[in-house]
Amino acid sequence: MGAHPKRNLKTFVVDVFRWNLRGGIGFQLFRLLLLGCMVMGIYAYSFQARFGLSVTGMNDIVSWGFYISNFTFLVGVAAAAVMLILPAYVFHDPNFHRVVIIGEGVAVGALVMCLSFIMVDLGGPLQAWHLIPGIGIFNFPSSILAWDVLVLNGYLLLNGLVPAYILYCHYMGRKANEKLYRPFVFLSIFWAFSIHMVTAFLYQGLPARPFWNNPLLGPRFLASAFAAGPSIIALILAVIHNFTSYKIDRSVFNKLRLIIVISAIINLLMLFSEIFKEFYFPTHHSSAAIYLFFGMGGHDSLVPWIWTSVCVNLAATLVLAFNPGKNNPKVLLPACVFLFVAIWMEKGIGLIVPGLIPSPLGEVVDYLPTWVELSVTLGILALGVTVVSWLIRAALIIEEKYEY
Amino acid sequence: MHILMNRTARRLGGSIVLILAFFLINAGTGSASEKKSFLDTVKTVDEPFDNRSVHQVQPVTQPTVLAGEEYQGGPFRVLARKEHIERYRCSSCHGDKEVKAQNAFTLTHGNVVIQHGREGSALGCIDCHHPQDRDALEDKKGRKIDFDHSYQLCGQCHFRQKRDWLGGAHGKRVSNWAGERVVYNCTTCHNPHAPRFAKRFPATYSVPLN
Amino acid sequence: MSLPENNQKNKSERGKENLAAALTEKSSRRAFIKNLSIGAAAASATLLTGCVPGADAAVSGELRLRWQEFFKKNYRLMTQEEKEQTVDRLERLAALQGGMELQIGSEPPLPKVLYGYAFNITRCEGFMECVTACIKENNLDRKTNTQYIRIFEMEPGQLDPSTGDGKYFHEVPVENKFYMGTQCFHCENAPCTKACPTKATWREPDGIVVVDYDWCIGCRYCQAACPYFGRRFNWGKAEIPKEEITPKQHYLGNRLRPVGKMEKCTFCIQRTRKGKLPACVEACPTGSRVFGNLLDPASEIRYVLKNKKVFRMKEELGTEPKFWYFID
Repeated sequence: MGAHPKRNLKTFVVDVFRWNLRGGIGFQLFRLLLLGCMVMGIYAYSFQARFGLSVTGMNDIVSWGFYISNFTFLVGVAAAAVMLILPAYVFHDPNFHRVVIIGEGVAVGALVMCLSFIMVDLGGPLQAWHLIPGIGIFNFPSSILAWDVLVLNGYLLLNGLVPAYILYCHYMGRKANEKLYRPFVFLSIFWAFSIHMVTAFLYQGLPARPFWNNPLLGPRFLASAFAAGPSIIALILAVIHNFTSYKIDRSVFNKLRLIIVISAIINLLMLFSEIFKEFYFPTHHSSAAIYLFFGMGGHDSLVPWIWTSVCVNLAATLVLAFNPGKNNPKVLLPACVFLFVAIWMEKGIGLIVPGLIPSPLGEVVDYLPTWVELSVTLGILALGVTVVSWLIRAALIIEEKYEY
Repeated sequence: MHILMNRTARRLGGSIVLILAFFLINAGTGSASEKKSFLDTVKTVDEPFDNRSVHQVQPVTQPTVLAGEEYQGGPFRVLARKEHIERYRCSSCHGDKEVKAQNAFTLTHGNVVIQHGREGSALGCIDCHHPQDRDALEDKKGRKIDFDHSYQLCGQCHFRQKRDWLGGAHGKRVSNWAGERVVYNCTTCHNPHAPRFAKRFPATYSVPLN
Repeated sequence: MSLPENNQKNKSERGKENLAAALTEKSSRRAFIKNLSIGAAAASATLLTGCVPGADAAVSGELRLRWQEFFKKNYRLMTQEEKEQTVDRLERLAALQGGMELQIGSEPPLPKVLYGYAFNITRCEGFMECVTACIKENNLDRKTNTQYIRIFEMEPGQLDPSTGDGKYFHEVPVENKFYMGTQCFHCENAPCTKACPTKATWREPDGIVVVDYDWCIGCRYCQAACPYFGRRFNWGKAEIPKEEITPKQHYLGNRLRPVGKMEKCTFCIQRTRKGKLPACVEACPTGSRVFGNLLDPASEIRYVLKNKKVFRMKEELGTEPKFWYFID
């Protein structure tokens, strides 16, 4: 740019863009693929914008489907960043200090995906300004959805601004003022628990839906989030360790494995508790669980889905627990992936759709997402991956190359 | 570290106290079991509702008669029936003169099939119709009853339905819930010779949602 | 930045020169954004006042109406005058866009009135005349056969509609079966109004739970919260044959709803606030439906509550519905 490398906020932003627009052929192909997926998603959404939500597979009985399923699951992934922050800031593990920024990047990406899923699920997205207090009406504290909007946006700000501040300081060649951001990091620890509890309360607070209206839903969400989130973070860390010069200590993976295993075991315990309650003495309130696990009235499209999820969940948890490779990544990483997928299946479609089937008057339908829903979901996933890759790439370059 | 723990412990303790206080205060201001139902308020309302206060009510245009009895809200009106009886006045045939007719089957009421009461103990014509004055009906006490006030006859046997009809649990108001009360007569809905509603196909159906 | 500027001045025409001069004045980006925002403000001002020079008058009128409709506030917070203005705009938009002559009302709730409803499960014969009357009166979508009212053919011995058949289509009544209808029960303690994040649905003082269709954001949280399957969503654009549209409408009732908004039974607010019975009550051939003012001790609904054995659906949920079932 000139003789003296002047750095300020403008050059920071420009540099972040520059680093992400340049790269090897593999990286460029990856970005092109993501861009293609996003374009596909926008094209599919145009149908939804034109014809309304009738182009999706949702109807008056299954009024929430694939979009809200993915939203629910991804809030958990976003909350899981706390499982990196806790060892780094509360237990002062120096190896975790290196990877906190990556966890926060994943959290931001997951939150962007969550908010996008909400926006595409709305029937009247142009009226979303009605939520803004002051110019609209914000039904706080009565509506849990209002709480959710607050906590999600707050968490996004926390996880976006704190790392941005730290990275900017490092970029400018000075240490970040820990006294300034440390209270916000601690706030984000509590906030991570709250975003997922509040999202669980969205469902838990509805007396009309006995499948959701049990006190275990909130804690179950936390357990499954802290199993699935660190799994994907472990995968991302492995990718970073193998494909970049940013090296991550083995102890990080070992500790993550421990966190995942404990959460997965608690998750399975809670699942068993729910299954016991539904099937020991089935009542009318158990009809949703019966539909999910055994089918009802000829409708059994979710039966193979949930059984696959439970079996894979169990198998992956056992592998992670007994650790047959002695922390061999070739064993643990696939197990993490399988656990992530199994929890996505069970917490996404396996939670939202059976909660709405049978209808409150007892009618059973099946739900299948349409190509519009699948394409828009793919587009949003690509958006999330893009956000995560941009943030992590910028963070890693600053951490590696800039002296402070 | 221990200084941090003390501070954290104090902060944690303080926030727990605050949360507990919040819930206790909320719980004190009405638990589910003590909550008053709106029905308690409704039942204490005793002043009569002024039906005339609903200005936009359009009065019933069909011909009505004032009912012979009152309901819990005072007098009310009933839809007249005589205009709807095809060959009223009955005395135009049922008189002293000789009557020659072409459509004898219908004119001699041959087309009336009585399905009122069970097989074997069904009603006969003069169980309801006045044997001498065909322009009127007759109840079991020999009182003459006008066709417009057939409820007085029906109500002799069907006294439960009549009581409910007076109160509003049987039958229907015409057009309006407010304004002057006009109700359907018994025979507006029920054919007196076959009062049970005929079997039919429903007007529509519900589509399966997938 | 001075060198490219000189090149530009030599090459461009007068107009471009001025533009370049304007752009390079002070901090170019700031001035550009300022001009852009002034331009946008001017454009919106002209739209609001309606004097767009040279544009088609009808199109600008429609745009202006739609602009005002988009930015209006929640119906519940409007003054009576603002309510009348918005229904006037809606009527004009309907005339402009569809050539329809509508009368959209904004009647406030009647004082000292709380609506109640009773359903006689002995008398209902499953004729579903109520359903067709409701579809016609409330301008429901014919394509998806949206129905606010559901009728269930029930087996004696069980009162739960999940044991009944809601999709029957054969001669009725069937021996040994009884018929039960559901619709929005207008709960006094409605879970749906609590769930709405924008307060687009609320309970009016006369007891009717209403939806401001223009304020709703279509999140369907209320639909998840309703224990009685009372709410419907406009998944697509409603298709109603023009000659079947009921022109007497109410803002909170049977007016034509936009896509992506919630709707439900409104106790025919366009009729009941003028003292008329809801369409379902009027259409029932067997007189199984009773409607009236709960605050009138002489009303039919109060007679039913006092003298008949009544029950409400899912009473244990504490939603306090204003719809009772009774047996003769």
